[in-house]
Amino acid sequence: MTAQPVTFWAAGRDKPMPDIRLTQVSRVFGAFKAVDDITTVFPEGTVTCLLGPSGCGKTTLMRMIAGLETPTHGSIKFGERDVTELPPGKRDVAMVFQYPVMYRTLNVIENIELPLRRDRSLSAAEIRRRADEVLDVLQLTGERRRRIGDLDIGTRQRVAVGRAIARQCDVILFDEPTTNVEVHAKLALIRAFKEFRARLRQTVIYVTHDQTEAMTLADQIALMQSGRISQCAPPHVMYDRPESRFGGWFLGNPGMNFLTPRTRDGRLLQFDALPCAIAVPADADGELSLGIRPEHIDVLHEPAADTVPARITRSSITIGGQHLLSLAVGEARLKAKTAPGEPPKDGSTVFIRCPLEHTVLFNDGLRLHETVARAG
Amino acid sequence: MSSVRLQNVSRLYHHVRALDDVTLEIASKSLTVLCGPPAAGKSVLLRLLVGLEQPDKGRIFINDRDITDVPAAQRRIGYVPQSFALFPHVSVFDNIAYPLALQKVGRAEIERRVDQVADILRIRPLLVKRPQQLSGGEKQRTAIARGMLKNADLFLLDDPLVGLDFKLRESLMEDLKDMRAELGATFLYVTSDSLEALTMAEDIIVLDAGRLVDANSAAALYDRPRHLRAAELVGFPRCNVLPGVVEAGGLCRTGIVNFRLAEPTSFVGDVAVAARPEHIWHRPDGAPATIRLMENIGAECVVYFQAGEETLVTSVSSPSVAHLDIGSPFPFAVSAEGLLVYDRATGDLLGRGQGQANA
Repeated sequence: MTAQPVTFWAAGRDKPMPDIRLTQVSRVFGAFKAVDDITTVFPEGTVTCLLGPSGCGKTTLMRMIAGLETPTHGSIKFGERDVTELPPGKRDVAMVFQYPVMYRTLNVIENIELPLRRDRSLSAAEIRRRADEVLDVLQLTGERRRRIGDLDIGTRQRVAVGRAIARQCDVILFDEPTTNVEVHAKLALIRAFKEFRARLRQTVIYVTHDQTEAMTLADQIALMQSGRISQCAPPHVMYDRPESRFGGWFLGNPGMNFLTPRTRDGRLLQFDALPCAIAVPADADGELSLGIRPEHIDVLHEPAADTVPARITRSSITIGGQHLLSLAVGEARLKAKTAPGEPPKDGSTVFIRCPLEHTVLFNDGLRLHETVARAG
Repeated sequence: MSSVRLQNVSRLYHHVRALDDVTLEIASKSLTVLCGPPAAGKSVLLRLLVGLEQPDKGRIFINDRDITDVPAAQRRIGYVPQSFALFPHVSVFDNIAYPLALQKVGRAEIERRVDQVADILRIRPLLVKRPQQLSGGEKQRTAIARGMLKNADLFLLDDPLVGLDFKLRESLMEDLKDMRAELGATFLYVTSDSLEALTMAEDIIVLDAGRLVDANSAAALYDRPRHLRAAELVGFPRCNVLPGVVEAGGLCRTGIVNFRLAEPTSFVGDVAVAARPEHIWHRPDGAPATIRLMENIGAECVVYFQAGEETLVTSVSSPSVAHLDIGSPFPFAVSAEGLLVYDRATGDLLGRGQGQANA
């Protein structure tokens, strides 16, 4: 994007954005470890999406960064500043919640200006200028005089975003802000978010269970499972090179296929869905499985090099008119996607190829850092 | 044999036609998805089938037997309501067993059947818990289990996965399809999510404002929806709808493309042209447009782009657009053969486009 940086930002801020440093952070509720010994750094000026299923600890982690929850162990720093014991008001964070918290009887511009008025160092002209720029970035200029109570929840949520960014805090936290927003307003909100990111570089933590949102908005995704971060990486890396079976399964619609070996003979693995054997890497001592994404399986109507026959057990139409096929190959069950067109017949036989360059070998659920190679 | 047949069924609420002269058939042992926007009449239709309401007009048949006047308790229908409606003070086991306990089924038989359905839904460890100890997904599965427990051959599921985590929905959809196959029963499944509808459906029924606008196999309905609302409501991403005009001789003009109708028509006038995302391609020598938003789904990327006055949507493979962002040029072409033309006044299908569309 080529949008100009917002002027108040360029003029008003000279200190750099802080990163967020977590050191051995845990939060225990009774016997339940909601967050379990996380040590990581979320880089300054970037968007980190905390992604994971219900109960993975993502909201608890965000609440500790906000100061709404105190860690049972560990420390949280914004840059060099230790904020572990500070209340939310002293941390220089802004928050956008699932339900926009706002003054319903005030209008849009008043809601955005209100938190700025508490800062005595800002002149009235400066407050107005910031508010106007934020309205412009979020395409809310037309709604400036409308009362919050008269707006739909999606627009209200955009005002909440505007209020958060106008404060110029070091850190902005988003807690599933699109959860209660209908689909069109959600797109407007995502677009507004992208727009403001193109112009302002605050450090953002964004909590979501929606993989599409995370893939769309994040500079890096911190994928969480059972209170831990299982992988933290840019979206395409997370998608293409998942460090764990969990990551391969969680991202993707549907997630990755996992094949278990039919036989293991010394250093050779045989899979139902592969015509050739795979060499077992030297460091593989656990339970092995081979992952491949549905879109990487070639589905052909005639046998060809490296194909094996597969039976279509079920099919449905999916994203963009593609066909989502459930396939049976020996004991293996796979999902594959094929291009829009003539629907395949359930029960018919096709020939599938799983290109090895698109496969990932997992050892006890964790990716082996070797390329998958044909044996011999 | 049809499992369900509605004959000219109407239901009025304070002079509003919640269902308006609906005639339809649901094939035995099918998984039929009922689609429609809010207030289309989906839940009303389910309530009529369960027997919680009576039609003002028309007859309802189940397994070819007229059950219009049969009381709810005597209809052998499994029902999974949208709200879980669990009893908070008794265990998950007793919640699930409730319909059988009502029928005075023996304890051993109840245990056998509860265990069976709990295994299918993978909630066996939850049976001793109370509903308030369950997560949202677990409550939902408990509600589904209770609905599935009855010895019925027709099950009605009213948006059973709404609000659940994406991944949980993905696996529950598979489970429900397996369950339908195992039970050999008919499922009538309501959802407001268009991708869920396509994933689940063998057959699809589309309701809009109380009227049946289309019913067909999922593949046929997706390929050739007979009403504009069916085109709009079934498919993900949602299909593009362009205002246009058909001139004498079958030439259709829109702000984006001009093309000929494949079938001869005497129609002349205002139309709505539906273009599915897969009929719009990113092509270097195509018509000029600019990206407004990109949503990364993983394998696919949904691209919203501005072409003249229109915002269009298409889905493309993610790697093919990895270098693009909001504001990037996005030249595109349209396949006229994929375009469907509807009478703008009635929403009825006039025909398909043909040949190369000039953008």
